[in-house]
Amino acid sequence: MPNLRELRSRIRSIESTSRVTKALQMIAAAKMKKAQDKVLDGRAYSEKLNAIIGNVYQSNPEVFSSIPEDEKNKILVLLVTPDRGLCGALVSNILKEASKFIESIDDDYEVRVIGKKGTSFISKTVDNYESYKVSDMPTFEEVSPITNSISNDINLTGFAKVFIIYTEFVSTAVQKPKIKQLLPVEIDLNENEKVNNEFLYEPSLNKVSEALIPRYIETSIFNSILDSVASEHSARLVAMQNATDNANELKQDLTLDLNKARQQQVTSEILDIVGGALALEE
Amino acid sequence: MSSNVGKVVQVIGTVVDVEFPQENLPEIYNALELNVDGEKLVLEVEQHVGNNWARCLALGATEGVSRGLEVSDTGAPVSVPVGEASLGRIFNVLGDALDDLGDVKAKEKWPIHRPAPTFEQQSGSTEVLETGIKVFDLITPFAKGGKVGAYGGAGVGKTVIITELIRNIAQEHSGVSVFAGVGERSREGNDLWHEMKDYGVLDNTALVFGQMNEPPGTRARIALTGLTMAEYFREVGKQDVLLFVDNVYRYTLAGMEVSALLGRMPSAVGYQPTLATEMGDLQERITSTVDGSITSFQAVYVPADDYTDPGIVTTFGHLDASISLERSLAAQALFPAVDPLASSSRIMEPGIVGEEHYNTAREVQEVLQRFKDLQDVIAILGIEELSEEDREVVFRARKIQRFLTQPFHVGEVFTGIPGKYVKVEDTIKGFKEILSGQHDDLPEQAFYMIGTIDEAVEKAKTLKG
Repeated sequence: MPNLRELRSRIRSIESTSRVTKALQMIAAAKMKKAQDKVLDGRAYSEKLNAIIGNVYQSNPEVFSSIPEDEKNKILVLLVTPDRGLCGALVSNILKEASKFIESIDDDYEVRVIGKKGTSFISKTVDNYESYKVSDMPTFEEVSPITNSISNDINLTGFAKVFIIYTEFVSTAVQKPKIKQLLPVEIDLNENEKVNNEFLYEPSLNKVSEALIPRYIETSIFNSILDSVASEHSARLVAMQNATDNANELKQDLTLDLNKARQQQVTSEILDIVGGALALEE
Repeated sequence: MSSNVGKVVQVIGTVVDVEFPQENLPEIYNALELNVDGEKLVLEVEQHVGNNWARCLALGATEGVSRGLEVSDTGAPVSVPVGEASLGRIFNVLGDALDDLGDVKAKEKWPIHRPAPTFEQQSGSTEVLETGIKVFDLITPFAKGGKVGAYGGAGVGKTVIITELIRNIAQEHSGVSVFAGVGERSREGNDLWHEMKDYGVLDNTALVFGQMNEPPGTRARIALTGLTMAEYFREVGKQDVLLFVDNVYRYTLAGMEVSALLGRMPSAVGYQPTLATEMGDLQERITSTVDGSITSFQAVYVPADDYTDPGIVTTFGHLDASISLERSLAAQALFPAVDPLASSSRIMEPGIVGEEHYNTAREVQEVLQRFKDLQDVIAILGIEELSEEDREVVFRARKIQRFLTQPFHVGEVFTGIPGKYVKVEDTIKGFKEILSGQHDDLPEQAFYMIGTIDEAVEKAKTLKG
């Protein structure tokens, strides 16, 4: 039977932990709604954009491999992670996925990281990296310097392949770490989406795709950030909800132990007093 | 002797008051004899209460004792047969044989109340005694000639540990052993006798039993009977003796049962006011002297798992090594359920066990302590929230917890896993390798119920199938 003071202090510490998790849960709930709306709103645009890219790709796949073969050997990996923890398995899942993926790369590569969690992880494993920071509720304006610089790098350096590793938002309960190949464009066209009508491009296919591809890159990066943010808040909500529940349960168990211990102490004290009194009575 | 005869004047349960003629009051601790329906009953004088009354403790059942019965003073304390003749035999508190092997042809009989060795008689050397049980050898190394206590609540495995120690040590040990069964299940005496016969150690062992079926007077003195036999081998035989006591707490409990009847006012938690004295009387005699040593292994029952109980606290101070058995570990089937953080040994210092052993043991405790600290965090937030380093600690700690388990020879009939004896070097090597992260890739189960670390590697292969 642990002593009373020990139990009381444990209960106190669990109580304060549960207050923190409860607060975090409520914050996450508020932010989650906004972030989820943003993701869902943005999806319509990116879907349409993907469809157009698909069309262009269909009519002329060569435009996407305009960079001369001999220069292409480098790979760019963009890792999108949250700034903060306390969001369940989300961080460790994405980092696990990322480290697995980076280890499997044989060629030269460069890593760009968004978010503190990813930065601290990458700084330990990779020498060649650059990191960016985004806020809790990123806007396109805020993110565009980052996307611009990445898309510039892509154009200048001529990476053979570009990947984004981020957490895809599926629902409040489900978030999946995902590796998306950004370049060369990989488009799996659904059967019914295959458009039969050939588009005419004005002024030319090359001109259109020249304008289209940077747009595509920027949107994809922005979307993956939005997805990550929405996932983070959702995961945090669920994790903190569980944590609060666990803390309350633990508190209940400990309170029971405390009451038992206290009652036992009271009983043994009464026994001592009564026993002593009886012995003196004679 | 027969000249001094008194009469029973009062019987209160197991305490009997006897009136003697003036000037002939028997001395304290003298044995008195009386005849109850043809059966001999022995009383031991505890107090002189005035009016020429001697207050006595019955070392047997007091049914049938009535006022006016004649009681004769034997003029000496209870004396028990000692020496070679006691080996291979089973005795009760009075030194009478309980087996059917006939009379005990002992050359000498010693009184069960004897003074403890003096300071100058005690020896100071320390030598580590290998037990072959990983958790003991690593965390609580036993000293030769030292006292070891195994603490634990009901049903966490004290008796199993004592029997395994008998098997591992008594079998390796060439000298004599004494086993004292104090207030435990009487069935265990029978089991032990057969087991000792199987291990071939019975011929070097004296067994004494005063189990839970016996009255408190018997249980309060049986440990002294066993101890006296051990003392003879130490002092006269100049031998190294092993003394096993299961269970020391029953000795305290028996004293508590009779304390109030003897007219003493109960002290804290109802214990006898003479608690510390009684424990000291027994424990101070279990000592190693310049002549020979007594290495003792004592099981200590912890009532209601409360380690702050006064009956438990008084025994702690007497021991060189204490092993705490933890119910929560037993509940996870981690046997032996020894809590490595609460167990300790006096000889756990680099000068005696060596730097490597000391550091490994402390690191193991560090990792387990960290794991314990993290447990609340894990319970609330989940293991995913821990940092990479902490997670590593948790995984290693869980492996260490499992590697601390070990199949016992005496448990083989229950578990079906053959018992393992692990050398100290192998134990230290194993834990060192786990701590260094050499076995981070092996699954946890590979470390469960095995002997050396090499077996973990083997087991991991079969687990992968």
